[in-house]
Amino acid sequence: MAVKITYANTPVSRLHPMTKIMAILMLGLCALVWPDFTLGLVLVIALFVVSFVARIPSDFVKIMFGFGIPVTVMLMFIQGLYSPKNQTVIADFGFAQLGLEGVLYAAKIVMDLLVFLGSFTIMSKTTYTGALVAALTSAGLNAKAGYLILASLNVVPQMQRRMSVIREAQNARGLSESGGLFSRLAAYVPLLGPVVMSSLTDAQERGMTLETRGFGITDVKQTSYVEVRWRTVDKVCNWVLVIMAVIVTAISVGIYIGVIPALTPWAGA
Amino acid sequence: MTVELRDLEHIYPSGDIALAGVTLTLEGTDPVAIIGQNGAGKTTLVKHFNGILRPTSGSVLIDGVDVTSHTTAEWSRTVGYIFQNPDDQLFLESVRKEFGFGPKHIGMDSDVIEQRIGTVAELVGLSHKLDTHPFDLTPTEKKFCAIGAVLMMDPSVVIFDEPTCGQDRKGTARLSHIISSLRESGKLCVIISHDMKFVTMNCPRIVVLCHGTVLLDGPADEVFAQPDILRRSFITPPPITRVGQGAGLKETVFSVPAFINAIATERNARG
Repeated sequence: MAVKITYANTPVSRLHPMTKIMAILMLGLCALVWPDFTLGLVLVIALFVVSFVARIPSDFVKIMFGFGIPVTVMLMFIQGLYSPKNQTVIADFGFAQLGLEGVLYAAKIVMDLLVFLGSFTIMSKTTYTGALVAALTSAGLNAKAGYLILASLNVVPQMQRRMSVIREAQNARGLSESGGLFSRLAAYVPLLGPVVMSSLTDAQERGMTLETRGFGITDVKQTSYVEVRWRTVDKVCNWVLVIMAVIVTAISVGIYIGVIPALTPWAGA
Repeated sequence: MTVELRDLEHIYPSGDIALAGVTLTLEGTDPVAIIGQNGAGKTTLVKHFNGILRPTSGSVLIDGVDVTSHTTAEWSRTVGYIFQNPDDQLFLESVRKEFGFGPKHIGMDSDVIEQRIGTVAELVGLSHKLDTHPFDLTPTEKKFCAIGAVLMMDPSVVIFDEPTCGQDRKGTARLSHIISSLRESGKLCVIISHDMKFVTMNCPRIVVLCHGTVLLDGPADEVFAQPDILRRSFITPPPITRVGQGAGLKETVFSVPAFINAIATERNARG
């Protein structure tokens, strides 16, 4: 059973892969340098909008909340209750007190993480890995390193598929995966051997195939079958991202050294 | 042993319809071949026989028991399934341990296991390789090791998925021998294959699948007597059968002696 991956043709998927990588870096930088969580929050909301444009809202929401909720709970617990910065008590649980400063700090970390995670998710869900690697190699990355990235991105679904075939084969030999935790874990041992061994033989065979197709030839300029186009919209996006990052950094530095008054003092800048 | 399929449908999560309503009863001990082009649903069909796949709708009954009422591991003592790729099945450090793994899991007595190892190893031709690591076997032997590991559990129904794939003449002969001895001991063999010669030599009954439905089902000579319908499923009868059909023989033949025999009979009839 083949796993089909299709990329909807949207303004986001049409962007050059390097633009999307640039977006991850610049948006992440903005969220990081900004003194409080407010800008991060704005960016996260913007990323939700982008996920709708990219037609991947359900995947995006799943990842963001699946990661966001547990991390928020954990950080709120640690920072909110036990941060040394805590001065203002906003709730008293008896065993510990919830401090405003810690909560705001936790919110800042969560938003920074979500900006990185969200932009990376949008990138990976809207970019064909072949195009990504083609873009990286044309930007000067070594073809071998490019292949390494491609292979490691492809190996995960491939191993999952193998794993399920092998699981079926072992079940058909009477291996039961039901029962207690221990018997479940024990049932994994027979699966691991074939998965690891077959992955190794796969890797060896793929290496040989690549060699027979001239992958190892040095001193030639390798061309790419996958073509990625750098369009005006990419140029604009990149400039906007860089300018935004510069402005945000400048303002943040200004706030830190006190030249500019905090724009959102209530957020704990 | 009876395998009964009623309006079996299977739709993969991707939305692909693999089986579009198959009603079929397999019983007795005559080996059954399931043939059809790639993607016709052959493997999907047989994966329902031991519950690896669960029907989207319809039902599968093994001796009247709904297949969904037990897990695949529980069915493994009744329905043996030999996977196409032996590397998916083998993981222990010797052929002997591979043979013992399944029976131990279904709680077979250790004396019985020892005794069966002898007979099964003899049958699959690995008697002198019982202490070899499966990875040191040749690809052919590996396949027979996987077959032996399944036969060790003494299932009543044995499913072979592409057993002839990669086999030489000797291996194919051994497979024929295994299938006929299973038939003699009252087992039902179900064989998926693209090797029409092998199929006609070993399977009295043939089921042709096409786009998830049964196109033809019947005795081999009847099925291969309908080349026009077979063509829809891109199946060509074995060469000698086509020669016979081209020469206008009334009988559908599958081997050279049968061909010569049929020619002789028709000559004599003509006088």
